[in-house]
Amino acid sequence: MPNFRIQYFRGPVWAKTKEQLKKQIVEGNNPVNGKPVMKEMVEILTKPLTEEEKKTGEYKRDKGPLTFTGTPDELQKLFLEKRFTDFMPVILPTEEKVAEMLKGTSHRPDELLGRMNPGSEAGDTWTYTVKDAAVNAVMAGAKPEYFPIILALGSSGSPALNVSDNGFMAGAVVNGRIRDEIGLNYEIGAVGPYAHANTAIGRAWNLLSINGGNCGKVGTTYMGTVGNAHNALALIIAENERDSPFKPYAVRRGFKEGQNIITLFTGWGILSAANWRVNVWGPDMNYPQIIKDIYAQQSPGLFGTTVVLSPPIADFVKDAGFDTVEKLTEWVTQSANPPMAAKPKPNAGPAPQAKAKAKPKRGGFGMGSNFHVIVTGASNNNYWMVGGMMPGQSIEIDKWR
Amino acid sequence: MKLRTTVTAILCLGLLSFVTQTDPASAQGKKAASADPQMPKITVLNPMGTPPPVQLKPQAPRLTTLDGKTIYFVNTGYIGTDRLMDVMADWFKANYPKTNVVIKRSAGGMDRVDKALWAEIGEKGDAAIVGLGH
Repeated sequence: MPNFRIQYFRGPVWAKTKEQLKKQIVEGNNPVNGKPVMKEMVEILTKPLTEEEKKTGEYKRDKGPLTFTGTPDELQKLFLEKRFTDFMPVILPTEEKVAEMLKGTSHRPDELLGRMNPGSEAGDTWTYTVKDAAVNAVMAGAKPEYFPIILALGSSGSPALNVSDNGFMAGAVVNGRIRDEIGLNYEIGAVGPYAHANTAIGRAWNLLSINGGNCGKVGTTYMGTVGNAHNALALIIAENERDSPFKPYAVRRGFKEGQNIITLFTGWGILSAANWRVNVWGPDMNYPQIIKDIYAQQSPGLFGTTVVLSPPIADFVKDAGFDTVEKLTEWVTQSANPPMAAKPKPNAGPAPQAKAKAKPKRGGFGMGSNFHVIVTGASNNNYWMVGGMMPGQSIEIDKWR
Repeated sequence: MKLRTTVTAILCLGLLSFVTQTDPASAQGKKAASADPQMPKITVLNPMGTPPPVQLKPQAPRLTTLDGKTIYFVNTGYIGTDRLMDVMADWFKANYPKTNVVIKRSAGGMDRVDKALWAEIGEKGDAAIVGLGH
């Protein structure tokens, strides 16, 4: 809001005593302009409005020049300076390259593709067209055959780079034939940057968020206190439907087998299950119990629990009697007495496992079950990943062909 | 019932401000800063989306004095905001003893308007300081 009088002071506020707040804020200075906070507060209330502040009506903005001209080196420098990039060189989006990208869809270039703000309705909601998405897809190094997935992501309006000072990540799970058609990797290194399609699509979503949605601008539309390593590249996970003993994730969400679907996730991200203290290496592994123990440790949490199982771990789970994800989910989220659950403290109410038995836990944002299973990766060892990620929209990719 | 002018100051507790990246000085086809003039020049497309227009709302005239005025401190409910409102109100009491300080909790939280409270401030208050953020 231009001209709006806002007072800034150094955060955070929560978890501080009144004495700390008094010393750091009331007796402190505005970190933006250095003025004493309370003195400026009085000025905000009493200083007459300027002519600029009295203006009403519509304050119009635009994207600026439609094109830039220069040598490739000059343009790379310009794009970096204007924060059009992820700080790495990009494929420069000439009209010819963008036209080639647009061959990946039947949708009109000037069609409104999406509306995006940096998250939680914080900040302006920008709009972008199919052509804007193509420009960013070119910059990311994507191929035209990836473009329907990039458009599906863009149509969601969901930012790959969320403003939150928590440091959220974004990811998406791809199901269907398109995984093989465009070479998405679902074997060794499935969740890492080990295939062009996964990498370029993740980068395109990041760049479209930066440019189409004005996200990821540090200090204004990005405030992650420590940040999130997943933000370097939005996480694009193709499920290994071929080797999974379970129905594909999208099928479990109600779509048809083989249908090309992308499901968005957001949360903290994932890391090796070996990180959790309940995990062990041994000759006899009870993977369902380990999953349950990890769930008991970290759920409900803000984003619940998502396990990303390699096919051999998924097979272990199935052989243990859980031939469907639904059965595993019911057991993990509702059965009592997970062995690693903390002992109840005096007067602390029912133990976590007792609550779980009474009612399945929900995600922190109240969006359905807070336990999710994805199967991907290779079969060369018994490793898997766990994290906090919450699913959002599932989008039909073929609508964007 | 006397309607009073309400002045609102928004506290942004280490949270956010939003600016656009639009460069109004740029012109279509603008040349980038020269690096190697021997290289052939190319023209590329601007990757940005379109920012929305902003409706500028009229702001209340400012107060000429705080003496005899009623200032509302609005706690939007984020953890610790109650403590901050308390210490800020204490500062006003100490430094502006003729100012009436009222602390209220907004039922709207950080992202919704508490219409009843806003109506109360409009009727009884001269200014409001609203705490947002973390």
